[in-house]
Amino acid sequence: MSVLIAARAVSKNFGPVQALKNVDVAVEAGSVHAVTGENGAGKSTLMKMFAGVITPTTGSIEFKGRTVKIQSPLQALHMGISTVFQEFTLIPNLTVAENIFLGRAPRTGSGGIDYKKLNADASGALGHIGSRLRPTKLVQNLTVAEQQIVEIAKGVAADADVFIFDEPTAALNTADVSRLVALIRELKVRGKAILYISHRLEEIFELCDTVSVLKDGVHIATRPTVQLNEQSLVALMVGRELSDFFPPRAREIGTTILRVGDLVIDGAEPVTLELRRGEILGLAGLEGQGQREIVRALAGVIPASFAIFTKTGPSGEVVTLDASNGVPYLVGKGIGFVPEDRKGEGLFLDLTILENVALGPQLRSAPWRLAAKAKQMVTGLMQSMSIKARSPMTRAGALSGGNQQKVLIARWLASGVDVLLIEEPTRGVDVGAKSEIYKLLRKFVADGGAVLTLSRELPELIGLCDRILVVHEQKIVADVEAAETNEHAIIHSAIGTRQESTHSVAA
Amino acid sequence: MNNIAAILRIGPDHRTGARHLSFLVLIAIIALVAFSSNLFLSPANLANLSSQIAPLLIAAVGQTLVILTGGLDISIGAVIGLVTGLIVLDAPQWQVVLLAIGASATIGLINGIGIAFLRVHPIIMTLSSMSFVQGLALLVRPVPGGTVPNWITASITGDIHGIPYSFLWIVGFSAIGGWLLYRTRLGLHFFALGGNASHAGLNGVRTRESTVAAYVLSSLFAAAAGFFLAGRIASGDANVGASYGLDTITAVALGGTQLSGGIGSLSGTIIGTVIVGVIGNGMNLTDVSAFLQTVIKGALLLAVVCVQRRKEIGL
Amino acid sequence: MTVASDRIEPSLTARVWPAEFVRRLITLPPSYFLLAGVVAVTAATSPHLLRMNALLIFLRQAAPLGVAVIGQLLVMRARSIDLSIGGVFIMTNYLITSGMLSGYPTAMLIAVPILMGLVVGVANGVLVAWVRASAVIVTLGMTTILTGVVLYLSSGRPPGGVPMSLKALSAERILTIPLPVLVWTALAVLAALGLRFLVFGRFLAAVGDNPRAAVITGLPLARIVVAAHVLAGVLAAAGGVLHTAALGVGSVKFGPEIIMNSIAATILGGGTFGSGRGGVAGPFVAVVALAFMFAVLTVYGIQDPGKLMIQGLVIAVAAVIYGTRER
Repeated sequence: MSVLIAARAVSKNFGPVQALKNVDVAVEAGSVHAVTGENGAGKSTLMKMFAGVITPTTGSIEFKGRTVKIQSPLQALHMGISTVFQEFTLIPNLTVAENIFLGRAPRTGSGGIDYKKLNADASGALGHIGSRLRPTKLVQNLTVAEQQIVEIAKGVAADADVFIFDEPTAALNTADVSRLVALIRELKVRGKAILYISHRLEEIFELCDTVSVLKDGVHIATRPTVQLNEQSLVALMVGRELSDFFPPRAREIGTTILRVGDLVIDGAEPVTLELRRGEILGLAGLEGQGQREIVRALAGVIPASFAIFTKTGPSGEVVTLDASNGVPYLVGKGIGFVPEDRKGEGLFLDLTILENVALGPQLRSAPWRLAAKAKQMVTGLMQSMSIKARSPMTRAGALSGGNQQKVLIARWLASGVDVLLIEEPTRGVDVGAKSEIYKLLRKFVADGGAVLTLSRELPELIGLCDRILVVHEQKIVADVEAAETNEHAIIHSAIGTRQESTHSVAA
Repeated sequence: MNNIAAILRIGPDHRTGARHLSFLVLIAIIALVAFSSNLFLSPANLANLSSQIAPLLIAAVGQTLVILTGGLDISIGAVIGLVTGLIVLDAPQWQVVLLAIGASATIGLINGIGIAFLRVHPIIMTLSSMSFVQGLALLVRPVPGGTVPNWITASITGDIHGIPYSFLWIVGFSAIGGWLLYRTRLGLHFFALGGNASHAGLNGVRTRESTVAAYVLSSLFAAAAGFFLAGRIASGDANVGASYGLDTITAVALGGTQLSGGIGSLSGTIIGTVIVGVIGNGMNLTDVSAFLQTVIKGALLLAVVCVQRRKEIGL
Repeated sequence: MTVASDRIEPSLTARVWPAEFVRRLITLPPSYFLLAGVVAVTAATSPHLLRMNALLIFLRQAAPLGVAVIGQLLVMRARSIDLSIGGVFIMTNYLITSGMLSGYPTAMLIAVPILMGLVVGVANGVLVAWVRASAVIVTLGMTTILTGVVLYLSSGRPPGGVPMSLKALSAERILTIPLPVLVWTALAVLAALGLRFLVFGRFLAAVGDNPRAAVITGLPLARIVVAAHVLAGVLAAAGGVLHTAALGVGSVKFGPEIIMNSIAATILGGGTFGSGRGGVAGPFVAVVALAFMFAVLTVYGIQDPGKLMIQGLVIAVAAVIYGTRER
């Protein structure tokens, strides 16, 4: 069988970060080829190169035997490469047919759009993949699964030879997943090359012929799936060095500070957990399993219902919290939230470091009051946290990722909260700053605070936290001491399989 | 039944906004006015109404295109004033027409380039061009006056088989606007821009060029409105379009089109303009102060906009 | 007030003084350059216009707009806009000149319009921040309603004159500076101090910079936007009082230019939707520059048409240059 599309010795740098190092992956016609690896392995970067979103720093992409330069998703589509991104690029107020043919709608003689042909062709493409979706429906009225069908239909209508799927089942239910599987099999039969980016191992084994494993930007292995089982596949994926730059874990954990009972988000199963003073608690899990929602519900950012939600003060007084009062209220009660998207949801990039940090304590005072002088405090914080900038008057937008993250944390440290809910402690942060941030968080909890954090980096979670809860399908499936577990065990809980080894992990 | 719904573009699978509500409001107001004055439905009055509505409606068609892309054109009124001034210039007819159309297109082009290529906010850009063009209009015709060529006045007064010419103007320009919006790729791209401009770009829509096109069209429709108005007031007047910038926005909003872009309809704008026209007409018939009309217009605008639930605070 | 961006320098070498100075100069809002330009041209061609007396008269005429601009810049900072300023000016004029407040002390002549401005601001704020209606439309509707009510009540003909007491206040001078100018300056200083030192000012800056982050950080977004609109309403009314007192009579002819000019001044002053790079001083200088420029143009015989064209050009150029500089 012939290779339809391939990456040859491809490397990609984003500034100082090397996302891909010398990767070779070749996808054959009439096959379903999985690309998998842990978070940060580089699968998404590789996919984006095939899709025309980014270009390789070195190395080349080959399509149908020739080296090509793919400069945009539209060009990729014209060449015959269709990509279904995790975040769709549909336009909500246009119909299915209009979305499928956007930019290339069939015309009538007088130059207008031939809607009859448009809808007919759309129905044709949809029918080709077994869908009877009406082409005249508005995309905003479709379910996620139906929207995905429209994205796929775009490729079918453009007569694509290569179909790339990026985590396609993340938002689908079981019935939709089996429909998707059937569809992909149909495409394979027709000789298309399918690239399937996922870390859902069950799907890889069910659907894919070949799997390429990436780890830390490097190509580890490419094997036919029949030659592997879950154990061996996981073994290829994990096993990264646990750096020793994590500060030592807590020697003793204090009393409960946050108690959450029967937290229900959007009709999911009730979640119960406890956070204690002096501890850093981690929430682990594959993407989209509900960890983010749990943290955001506790922060008051998304609505949820709680049977129990209490905070215990240092001298034992228990306060019941009502998260429906929103973020300002919870901040007042001592709970701070550090979002993952610090530029979009956390920092005020045009304001100075001083202004960003000073907002913390200002949140607890009434708007008509004089803002307390904060320059000294901020300068002090900048020093103790090693925030490298010319002065507190530097614009937050001009700082490096690590320093920006520190500023965000500094805001909460300055505000006097004692619980920190963090989505990603060190995303986009260089190694040196990472270790400093870990030390900061350790000190925070040592002083009587508590931290609940997510992370896509398992080694980070294991190294940083005292205790880890594993989340799978919106439920907590495991509660382990970080010192007693490893990546293998957590991934196995996270994908819902049992590990065959002497380590017993509470399922 | 489905076919009727499809033709009228009613239902959840259409992006017509709150047009159905506007339609109800229109019916209510027509009923109210017809009840209050038995002159309302007389042919003479309807002809008068048609003549009153025509220029606003024509200009509002252009405004609709721009608003659907998520923008705003405040300079429409100034363009109208300029055009009426150019029309009464003492020069060969074809030159005058060419000049008026050329000037309007250029203004639209400048607006579009400023907004799409130079990243100036639509409100700021069209505000500044409005000021400039208004000044230009006053330069061309400092005091109202001049003679409007016969062919223009003739084309707006009079009727054919009882149907006033002004009505034909309305139908004609609505048809052009409708064809542009619903039958061409450009019209689809307008909706796409308003729905999600970045996704539109990713899917191959030439976003900047389409934006420029929207503003050029808006100015051209304003020019057409200017021609009509010149005929109706039989003179050139730089200030005659003063209220049109805001009035067209009112008409579009009253028709259920959302200012954030992407959702709305041309028929909604027609409904909105007719609402404004009927209110004015009705109040004239029942001898209600013209000034109260502005109050009602303003209140209606507020009411309509409260119905448009949005997610974000602001402009 | 926030100064434009610093850049991170990798080392701690001492700043070279001229380079720093030049950099700060370039990042000044366009209004400073406009003022400098106008003053320079005037000094070169008609230096007698630069006499203190003439200047103070210009400033007095500019005061009403200047006060209204303070409100506009607050609201634009919150990513909103206030197009109801014109209507508030007109309603204020009516309240004062219609005679309904005759027989009341002068303080009432000022207090009642301010109260009206407050109510308008509250209405605007509630509709924009809670109902989340479009600010353009809401304030537009408001101006239409206010103007319409006044036209209706006065049947289109301006009712009367301004009571002597108020006119006298407008003509009053303290240490040769006209009272309206002092009021304007005082309000501007208050606003600048408030933005800098009050928690509200810090919140407003954050809200304008990134509303989504403001919500996630725990700022009371809706309340801040309402407050901005309320302040704008009150300041518009205050400007209206100054305007009517200077005008001396009832009139309904001036609404739209005020709205336009307030936005123009804010843009020239370095403000734009969501950012306050010029602070309060930028728009302040812009009002002075615009007023001066138009006064000088009038002296040179350039009438309305020319002024309008220049105004349009100035705004567009400022928006393009200053806007693209921020990228």
